[in-house]
Amino acid sequence: MSKRAVDAVFQGLYLLTDIRGILRDTVPSHTLSDKQKQEAEKIIGKLEKQISILKEELLA
Amino acid sequence: MNCGEGIDTRQVDELYINLDPIQAGGRLTTDAMKAVLAYGDGYSVCDHCNKPFRLDHISKPPLAEFHKDLASFVNMDTARLVPGARRGFQAVADALVKPDDPVLLTAYSHYTEFISVEQAKGTPFEIPADESHIITKDAAADRIEEVIRTTGKKPALMFVEQVDYQYGNLHPVADIIKVAHQYDIPVLCNGAYTVGIMEVDGKALGADLLVGSGHKSMAAPAPSGVLATTNEWAETVFRTTRVKGDLTGRTFGIKEVEMMGCTLMGVTSVGMMASFPHVKKRVKEFDSQVKYVNLIVDALLSIEGTTVQSEYPRKHPLTRMNTTESFDKISKTHKKRGFFLTSALRERGIAGILAGSTRVWKFNSYGVTEEQAKYVADAFVDIAKAEGLSCSS
Repeated sequence: MSKRAVDAVFQGLYLLTDIRGILRDTVPSHTLSDKQKQEAEKIIGKLEKQISILKEELLA
Repeated sequence: MNCGEGIDTRQVDELYINLDPIQAGGRLTTDAMKAVLAYGDGYSVCDHCNKPFRLDHISKPPLAEFHKDLASFVNMDTARLVPGARRGFQAVADALVKPDDPVLLTAYSHYTEFISVEQAKGTPFEIPADESHIITKDAAADRIEEVIRTTGKKPALMFVEQVDYQYGNLHPVADIIKVAHQYDIPVLCNGAYTVGIMEVDGKALGADLLVGSGHKSMAAPAPSGVLATTNEWAETVFRTTRVKGDLTGRTFGIKEVEMMGCTLMGVTSVGMMASFPHVKKRVKEFDSQVKYVNLIVDALLSIEGTTVQSEYPRKHPLTRMNTTESFDKISKTHKKRGFFLTSALRERGIAGILAGSTRVWKFNSYGVTEEQAKYVADAFVDIAKAEGLSCSS
């Protein structure tokens, strides 16, 4: 059992959902404000971390 | 892109400002979307279901607390989750209406309110609307008198919509309920378009029974809703089972008959619960939504020949417009015929208005930002100008 991998999957899905939320908030142009860009950057950074965890847990 | 064989990925709310009359208030919050991911499996809330084995007693996830919070949110005594407002109507009609009982509804009652009366074998009588499309207390009083006179019976129940689905008008429910109570008629207030959208105080309205829709107005997955009652009616509507198997002698604990035991056993209840903190917050910001819908309506009214059939200024974002003398005239000669308007809106990233509508149509701007409201308002005027209609703005 890799609880770490499972957590990373859910955390990744939640982070993607946060991005989905930003896309919904900014329809139809998807032009992000500076604050939204900072938020998106933070989310993507965290998402990359979750992907790294998945690589470590499942592919190493 | 498919999410299953032959099932397209739905991206309406990610790509468009969605003005669909029935979808706006049910759009999920990000927390609800996360809950959907985690609780999508069938009986997902039943992992920790212990005695007495009923949904409103489950403490992990915190459904027991959520039920109490829901009752408090609408200022009623007891609340249950139901699979949509319609199942709330059905439960109440089944509990209160006997065959041939007269039941009062309004000229704007939803079809499911009628069907719940039909299922209980009651006889529906409608309270008419006035010329402004409002149900008044006087019309209610007249109809009660008439029903008693003609049937010789007091109506067993009255349904009244706080905001109706046809015009999105706000009706004087408290006044109507006062009238009904003078005749000892219990009243179910249909808050499908209000609970979760604006602040609703069931006790202040005088409602005996209050129904809300999770998927219409509480940012929840379908089918979901809430049925709330006063203490006076809780025992009747939420009566527990007394049936016994004649061979096995089995009994069924404290399952509630009208609820058919447990109701929302998975993604629906958790989705609703996940959105609830946001819903509690957003009802306090309803005035902004009223401002935004009026901004859009004002832009539409600036297009020559356009009228609003709902009460105006708007008090609710669900709105019925009449563009028979504006956009419909264009449709007569446009190469896209009646589809030109919705097509032009879609090109501008706006969806949700019934395709092909150019005469009488509804929209619901609930949930838009000020920037999006201005964008929608400008889009309607731009389309009108592009088609040669005269605009005063």
